[in-house]
Amino acid sequence: MIETGIPKLDGYLHGGIPEGNSLVYYAYPGVDGGVFGMQTIFHAVSGGRCGAYIASSTDPRMIRDQFMEFGWDMGESVFADRFTIVDAFSGLIGADSQERYVVPEPDNINSLTQCIKQVMEEMPEPGIIVFESLSTVMDLCGEKETLDAVLEWNKYAMLYDHVMVYNFTAWPYSEETLLQVKGDACNSVVSVGGISEKVIFGWYFGLLKLDWAEMIRKWVLFKILKPGGVRIYIPKILVTGPFDAGKSTVVHALSNRAVSVDRLGTTIALDHGHIDHNGFAADVFGTPGQERFDPIVKLLSGEAMGVFLVLDSANATGFARGVRMLEITESFGLPVVVIANKQDLPEALAPEEIKTRLDIPESVPILPAVAADSEGVFEAFETLVEMVMGVN
Amino acid sequence: MSTSEMLVKVLGDLQKIGEIEASAIATRDGLLMSADMHAKGDPETFVAMSATMLGAAETATSELGKDVPNRVIVEADDGKLICMGAGPKALVVVMTAPGAGLGLVLVEMTKSAEKIAKLI
Repeated sequence: MIETGIPKLDGYLHGGIPEGNSLVYYAYPGVDGGVFGMQTIFHAVSGGRCGAYIASSTDPRMIRDQFMEFGWDMGESVFADRFTIVDAFSGLIGADSQERYVVPEPDNINSLTQCIKQVMEEMPEPGIIVFESLSTVMDLCGEKETLDAVLEWNKYAMLYDHVMVYNFTAWPYSEETLLQVKGDACNSVVSVGGISEKVIFGWYFGLLKLDWAEMIRKWVLFKILKPGGVRIYIPKILVTGPFDAGKSTVVHALSNRAVSVDRLGTTIALDHGHIDHNGFAADVFGTPGQERFDPIVKLLSGEAMGVFLVLDSANATGFARGVRMLEITESFGLPVVVIANKQDLPEALAPEEIKTRLDIPESVPILPAVAADSEGVFEAFETLVEMVMGVN
Repeated sequence: MSTSEMLVKVLGDLQKIGEIEASAIATRDGLLMSADMHAKGDPETFVAMSATMLGAAETATSELGKDVPNRVIVEADDGKLICMGAGPKALVVVMTAPGAGLGLVLVEMTKSAEKIAKLI
């Protein structure tokens, strides 16, 4: 089994790609799908596997730079005997190549096949072979020729227990070609696309095909971070709650970068922060808590995908106001996690005690935290993310 | 052309008048739809704050029984920040260069806002 390193995807693949199997990242034009293959091979190689990256549209030196942009240093000496770039580009422009494997005629499919087979034979142990761009190969060598070759490569990979991964962009090829790439060519297909439905603008991925286990039909939004790579993305998480419960502190404790509009120690407009944690990225919006700001709170809470209700565990008089804020933000029906903050205060109530005093559904989790010390906030984030993912 | 590509075109056309340092389209509740920041600043935060500002201005005037304002203009020594609604769901916001002529920017922004309102 070789993991892809793409958050959530390995779960959907039931652990990763089993040896001898193939996967295609099927990206729609306009979506940067190339990073999926790059992240997959980086994850595999840094995890101790062998990997070969077939460069067909970019100079290998620039490929190394592209990896570096994401913070993946493929030139590290520990990778030297495990990672190779197969140069199927320099031959096109008549340039010299420094790489160990060079395809002399990249526009001739037999020349490419010969080189790929050699790579598979010489790889010291079962590893992973990632194509920078199968579409480029198709443009150079022909659609039918390339598809026939893919079947041959996959068969060969099966023989040697290698994993094949293709980045493919669905340019307007013939209907038959596209159907085959999505269908019979490989053991699994991950669709990578863009959405601009309603007002959510972003990118998603999900499984189109899986033949080694039961297919999980889920779609997740993602974002590409540099450095970082593919992250599951939640465009809006709302942080709300009564005055002085610690909402801004929670936003800052969770975020890598955050800004607050506060005057005289209280938020008057909005806290806004970016979270990057454990493969998940999210933008958080923290609302003011005082009643005079309610019109703004209502205005800014639209389109949230999940909600944190922050409570001061030592101040039970604010609990009713907290529930009221869930109403103002129209949060009922959305995934909600209650953060029982300020657990370090001597008079703080335990989460179970708070539950009995709070008029909210039984299913809403209440988690302890000391946001000022960053205690418990990431546990709450992980809980909320799981709930948001479960809804889709 | 997808909707997001159309929004990119609207912002591109708006940039052509020059003296615009950053521009963005967002939902009224502060989610980014499209931005051209010239590699400066963080677009998500920029639009979240702009949406807050516009919403707060609309709330403030309506408290006094006035109509919804046409736009919010923030004047600073090194530029002007202009934010206006683009239909019920969206808004458009720009940051101009210090010497930018307000008249031309407002005329072009109004045109952009009308286009955005039809797209979303």
